[in-house]
Amino acid sequence: MKYVVIAEAYEKIEATTKRLEMTDLLVGLLENTPKKIIDKVVYLTQGKIHPDFVDLEIGIAEKLAIKALARASGIKESEIEENLKKTGDIGEAAQKFIADKRQVTFFQQSLTVQRVYGTLDKMAKASGSGAVDLKMALLAGLLADAAPKEAKYIMRTVTGNLRLGIADMTVLDALATAYGGGKENRGYLERAYNVSSDLGRVARIVAEKGLEGVKKFEISVGEPVRPMLCERLSSPEEILEKLGGKCIAEYKYDGERIQAHKKGGEVALFSRRLENISGQYPDAVKLLKKYVQAKDAILEAECVAVDPDTGEMKPFQELMHRRRKYGIEKAMEEYPVSLFMFDALYVDGKDLTLRPYPVRRRALEEAIEESDRLKIAKYMVTGDVKELEKFFLEAIEDGCEGLVCKSVAEDSVYQAGARGWLWIKYKRDYKSEMTDTVDLVLVGAFHGRGKRAGTYGAFLLAAYNPDNDAFETVTKCGTGFTDEDLAKLPRIMKKHAIPHKHSRVQSMVEADVWFEPATVIEVLGAEITLSPIHTCAMNNVRKGSGLAIRFPRFTGNYRLDKSAEDATTTMEIVEMYRNQLKRISES
Amino acid sequence: MFKLKVADAKLLKDMATAISILIDEATFKIDPENLKLRAMDPSRVAMVDFEWPKTVFEEYTCTEPTKMCINISELLKLLRRAGKDEVVELSLDEKTGRLQIRITGKYTRNFTMPTLESSEEEVPTPKITFNVRAKATTEGLRQAIEDAQLVSDHVRIEADAEKLVFNAAGDLMSAIIELQKGSDTLLDLEAKEPSKATFGLSYLSEIIKAASATSDIATLEFSTDMPIKLDFQQTKEGKLTFYLAPRIETE
Repeated sequence: MKYVVIAEAYEKIEATTKRLEMTDLLVGLLENTPKKIIDKVVYLTQGKIHPDFVDLEIGIAEKLAIKALARASGIKESEIEENLKKTGDIGEAAQKFIADKRQVTFFQQSLTVQRVYGTLDKMAKASGSGAVDLKMALLAGLLADAAPKEAKYIMRTVTGNLRLGIADMTVLDALATAYGGGKENRGYLERAYNVSSDLGRVARIVAEKGLEGVKKFEISVGEPVRPMLCERLSSPEEILEKLGGKCIAEYKYDGERIQAHKKGGEVALFSRRLENISGQYPDAVKLLKKYVQAKDAILEAECVAVDPDTGEMKPFQELMHRRRKYGIEKAMEEYPVSLFMFDALYVDGKDLTLRPYPVRRRALEEAIEESDRLKIAKYMVTGDVKELEKFFLEAIEDGCEGLVCKSVAEDSVYQAGARGWLWIKYKRDYKSEMTDTVDLVLVGAFHGRGKRAGTYGAFLLAAYNPDNDAFETVTKCGTGFTDEDLAKLPRIMKKHAIPHKHSRVQSMVEADVWFEPATVIEVLGAEITLSPIHTCAMNNVRKGSGLAIRFPRFTGNYRLDKSAEDATTTMEIVEMYRNQLKRISES
Repeated sequence: MFKLKVADAKLLKDMATAISILIDEATFKIDPENLKLRAMDPSRVAMVDFEWPKTVFEEYTCTEPTKMCINISELLKLLRRAGKDEVVELSLDEKTGRLQIRITGKYTRNFTMPTLESSEEEVPTPKITFNVRAKATTEGLRQAIEDAQLVSDHVRIEADAEKLVFNAAGDLMSAIIELQKGSDTLLDLEAKEPSKATFGLSYLSEIIKAASATSDIATLEFSTDMPIKLDFQQTKEGKLTFYLAPRIETE
């Protein structure tokens, strides 16, 4: 197949804004495409050479593209740059300069789709010291043989500027029309696409095997399933009503959603956007290799940054330190992750996507062995509004965004690639940002683990309530303490240690060690939230709830000048909560 | 199966350098009589035609014709480790499909490197009637090209019965370099008719620079607006020829 056929189709598609017309043009192109390269043509129409989950990009910078064009056309780079300044379109520049090229080439041959595709693939795979030169030479080779129109689209493709605006659904429409017996059968193709995320493979199957082939399409380990998404509601009543009175409520962790594909001893991780992110999370890969018992599986999990010393969850932003290509080892030590598993789409030969959620949950539980760093996402099965609300507050306090409430009905299948009412997220409408520090009293401590073995891992902190002369707990804090702090604290606190909870301390949390209220430290938190487990201002803002500080961090200041009774009062915390309450704008 | 032994590593190194300026993945043909390579650079502007008969080698065994594709710049890295007069032996490990490179001299080094999928493309040599044939010293050509490069990125090569002229014109500056027939630089010149053609200087300079390590005398052949053929006479037997496609000049 000649590449010019594709270039001409692009030209027409570009000229229309109507989706139906675009679909018809695409149908025409696909019908003219030999079946064995239809996958390649489909990728090319998307400006790609592989599905997104294959970690290969052509990645030609404009500068290099100009060099290649200069080489192929025999026109000076400066002249091309000058033109580009005016038009800003590297594709147009290629068309123009290839049309008046000055360099002759040997044995000019018209371009075939196979050659264009093969060359682009080679460019994407080029690596090592000579990669830049090789990419440039390969691109120049294509341009040298290209007609001006072809040069335009090749250049746009390699620089990531094709932008024909062909949506995935338009391609599926066109495929259904050309090979699937009509547009009304798009649903079958859509499902195949949703479980494989590979338009090219769907195209090849429908072209070669027709609709029957597509109906038999199977989920395949290694090809990410497009994730099922949640709707959103803001009250537990509505949620339970929508889900038929009962649901599995799960912590909605503030992390990155990942889909893990395990095939024998190999594990690959895909992001929500279907990119292969295995390289970012070697520790997660290791955990999955170790704790997934099933031989082959596709499992979903939330990957959350944890404090290496305390095991506490950290906010999503901390995971951004893992978005890197180099220095992963170091980032991994500083920002380790835990996995919270919540779904199983495929286990040992069984496609579970059409099974109800409780069945998938059971399969998940059987497929893994829980450990410290890899767990089933915290959940409860409930039909009670109050219970759900309490669980929600616990989730917030534990550093989660809220809950995801999932249907347990017979039809609660995995809706790949769809947003539906089978999963409903429950997030907060209000958020109270903390800008001031507070001074809190050390009333208890927890034994440390790992690096903090033998000293404290975290402290239970309280605010002072002068009305009943009590110290009411408001947070558990392990962040911000230096190694030095931790080395000396057991010695300092020893004189305050007591065998049981102090009579003036009100706590629903069981600490490992209790202190008499004496030592005050300065703490900064991210926000103040309602809490079912901390006693600070219990029943004041809401019945059954106290207030808690989320993501607390010790500032390093010991308030030696303050006695326990000089600590921040519970009423001050209530004031801070009220003053700082802001409506959360939906992101 | 083959085993090629070259007595002087420098010879092989210089040859690989000359080839590497145009191509990255080189498919060599090895048959019982000689080692050959003919390939175009990826932009199809230049071509190299190389051949070493078995007499160039100290030892040459090839039981059946074989194709071998390797990354030439990687091979070059290894060859650069060899000193003058060290012996290089190339052979194919049939089990692993890897090329084995053994360098012996002051001490012995055994390297291996992967072979790649050979290109299927058969490159023909261009069929051109050349009107000009000039024999010049490689060094003289190299100087002329360096002069031209000062002012432009391309050069017009002109010839009549008396002289060979390099004419370069840039945006601001220009240069004319004349080589007279029978001079120390231009050893011989035949022109059936006056001819001229323009070529990119980056290609020309790279080719001449790399080939000059293997050759003292070069033969240029060209016709008006046609490709130029540059044949570098080898000290031993063998052939190293380049073809370069012209540029079209509008002015």
